[in-house]
Amino acid sequence: MIALGATDTLSFRRWLALSLAGLMAFFGIWWITAASGAVPPQFLPTPLAVFERFVALTQSPFVGYTLQQHLASSFGRFALGFGLAAAIGVPLGLLMGWFRWLDAVVTPLFDALRFIAPIAWVPFAALWFGTGIGGPVLIIFSGAFPPCVINAYRGAKYVEPRLIEAAQTLGASHLRMIVEVLLPASVPSIVAGLRISAGLGWQSLVGAELIVASSGIGYLLVKGQSNISTAIVMSGMIAIGIVGFTIDALLRMLERRINRRRGR
Amino acid sequence: MNPKGRPEGESAAKRAARRIVKLSRPSTWAGVATFVVLFAAWYVLTTLTQTIGSGRFPSPGETWEAFEQIALTGYADARLVAHVLHSVKLVLLGFAAATLVGVPLGLAMGASRSVEAFVNPAFLLIRPIPPLAWIPLAIVWLGLGDAAKVLIIWFAAFVPAVINSYSGVRTIEPYLIEAARMLGVPRRLFVREVLIPGALPMIFTGLRLSLQACWTTLVAGELIGAIAGLGHVLYQASLDIFPAMIVVGMAAVAITAAVMTIALGVVERRAMPWRSTR
Amino acid sequence: MMRRHIAAAAAGIALGAAAIGTHAQPLTEIKISYQPAVYWAVPFYAAAEKGWYAEMGLKPVFSTFPAGVPQIAASASGSWDVGALGSVPATLGAARYHLLMIGISNDESDGNAIVATAKTAASFEKNPASVKGQTIVLTANSTGDYAVQSCLHKWGLQKTDVTIKSMGQAEIMSAMSSGNADLGGLWAPNTYTMEEKTGAKQICSGKDAGAAVPGAIVARADYAKEHPENVAKFLAVYLRAWNWLNAHQPEAIAMMKKFYDQGGVTISEASMKKEFSTRPTYDLAGQLKIMKRPPGGKSEVDDWFTKIGAFMQANGTFPKAPEADKFVTDQYMKMIDADPKLKAFANRAD
Repeated sequence: MIALGATDTLSFRRWLALSLAGLMAFFGIWWITAASGAVPPQFLPTPLAVFERFVALTQSPFVGYTLQQHLASSFGRFALGFGLAAAIGVPLGLLMGWFRWLDAVVTPLFDALRFIAPIAWVPFAALWFGTGIGGPVLIIFSGAFPPCVINAYRGAKYVEPRLIEAAQTLGASHLRMIVEVLLPASVPSIVAGLRISAGLGWQSLVGAELIVASSGIGYLLVKGQSNISTAIVMSGMIAIGIVGFTIDALLRMLERRINRRRGR
Repeated sequence: MNPKGRPEGESAAKRAARRIVKLSRPSTWAGVATFVVLFAAWYVLTTLTQTIGSGRFPSPGETWEAFEQIALTGYADARLVAHVLHSVKLVLLGFAAATLVGVPLGLAMGASRSVEAFVNPAFLLIRPIPPLAWIPLAIVWLGLGDAAKVLIIWFAAFVPAVINSYSGVRTIEPYLIEAARMLGVPRRLFVREVLIPGALPMIFTGLRLSLQACWTTLVAGELIGAIAGLGHVLYQASLDIFPAMIVVGMAAVAITAAVMTIALGVVERRAMPWRSTR
Repeated sequence: MMRRHIAAAAAGIALGAAAIGTHAQPLTEIKISYQPAVYWAVPFYAAAEKGWYAEMGLKPVFSTFPAGVPQIAASASGSWDVGALGSVPATLGAARYHLLMIGISNDESDGNAIVATAKTAASFEKNPASVKGQTIVLTANSTGDYAVQSCLHKWGLQKTDVTIKSMGQAEIMSAMSSGNADLGGLWAPNTYTMEEKTGAKQICSGKDAGAAVPGAIVARADYAKEHPENVAKFLAVYLRAWNWLNAHQPEAIAMMKKFYDQGGVTISEASMKKEFSTRPTYDLAGQLKIMKRPPGGKSEVDDWFTKIGAFMQANGTFPKAPEADKFVTDQYMKMIDADPKLKAFANRAD
């Protein structure tokens, strides 16, 4: 993505200092609130208590598995659902941005479906797929799909009209127009969409696991809750955060690599 | 999904005329046709051939009966209108709170590397935590009332608002910023005349996603002991294994949310009269 | 990554399969569903540990659910063949998906209750009428719901006298332990967790209210029709496991502890003993007795389920409750009784 003017770049040292300061402020406020005794530990355990619990969860199994195993089981479901959403959503969005008739056919349908909460599909996922992998995948897909489509569509729609006119003058075919004009111009929007999509997909999965699963990180959270252990709940939340962060970081890398290839 | 520029000073009559033209456009008919075809397929599969049993997916007739039940006699302790109003209230609260916090934060992060460096680590840590995962803490912190539900919705709507506002600033053409800098435009003017207008398309993309996130999270929020609301209807219907009522609840969420999105689209067009697409 | 997930899934299956041991003849697969870390599911675990399914020529494939409603929803797609769950969701399953009630897992009447927070329990106990106007958090369409409403009835209160908020058991525990709710409808072992960790107190159970809250052993109707012999064998294994658990307390408690650990429940040994002592189980003769229908009349179990059906109908879960004699059947218990080998197996306590 384009830097906001060359004058506004930070030295690495300054960036590091600020990032650390930000983290310290975050944990500092948390720690002071929890350690001051103003709130009971069940309300907010200290960062240290959560950290200790976190480490314990990675070493000894809780509800049958260690934290890593719970995460691995969640992540497998996620990868399948998200991959499917991106593979269908991005091309669909681009095509909708180019072919008006497709836009006209799909948009109303899509508009109707995208407001339906992924977890609202939980009952149908159970009715249709039972305990199979199809259930979670359906739920993740329904969460991850809309941003893929919307951002690809918007990216394609907001391409500079003169670029399109130029390409049309040169007699570009539909396929070349989409692949060589719309797609490259939409990449920032698409990647922004993928990042949101990955976030939502991951969230939907955990949401579904909170309600129906009997394995995975969401299940760990529920079980922590019914153990009346806020430390377990927060450990689970942090683990979810770390995985989500990692997914996001990977997509950022992808974004940077694509931009570099495009000579930015 | 198709923002249109509108010339300033258009008369009401002209606007009405445009609307009629819009209705008679082929695209509108294509959309209508899609729904007609789908509805026919639904009817045929569930009612005529019964390929899909009513335990798997309800027929149009069952869905209509469920709709009548909730609209007239009520379901899950209230009638449909009461459920819708309750949900709209929660969504508006969560959406407003998320916009007020998220957009300025995203703009600040986009405009200043220092702010980004300071806020980003904590934001990135909190961001991927699903709104639903906050439910245990929301209950412990805020109890079973509306506040906990608004918190959950806020978490969902906050993230897209920040990210897209941030990206919006970052996609402003550098020469615009350079030009403003060289001209020595004061900070406040720069924010008002360059930063916000430049970031607006992405901000609105973000707000749309935020609004959608509000609605999709509402169901989760209303898992926290709601006594009314569409999420409560969906939850109760899933506990009753009442597929027809689930479909009615889903449709009610979709329609209400769509109406709110159209309203947001109107705001978007007002905010960006200069914007035009093909 | 996907591979890792599959590996995790495979590990889960292996857990179930490990118990099968080395049996020469090919085993028949049977898909069993239950809920983790509850008293009535211990026999499934014990039988697998002891290798009794294999002795009957069965190969159990387990799936677990956090609650009864998703469990019956999954039965619609044939995800499981037999299992156990609360009597209230089981009745819903009978109404929606023709689930058959083939036995009673145990008497859960004392394990479903209204629990009050430490601060409020004494005053509510002293004056139950003061529950009027309060908020009660419970899981709708559950045995806990049934126990709560039976207690209200006992106290002379109507459903409309209180505010009922429905949510999952875990949310109820969060809300109560943080002081955001005073009264909750819970079931064991959650009741024990609340008592041990927050000092909350069970103030009225289904038993106190005079309501019979059974746990149900169920089978999918299609499956039961096609494989009645497997259903009978599965039941025989379950009955034997109860006999063994009841006859070998210390070992049973140790096994229960392991099973609860896997389900993420940590309660004291005293509470586990209480689970055994307060929640009677039925052996083959007992099952046959409570399910026996006098000519033209109703069995004891029919009565229980008729009441549960009426409660759910009043809740608006379904417009008309299914007739108990349409889905409660002692056919499979009778099959065991009629087969000397099966009967001997079901009555063993070793």
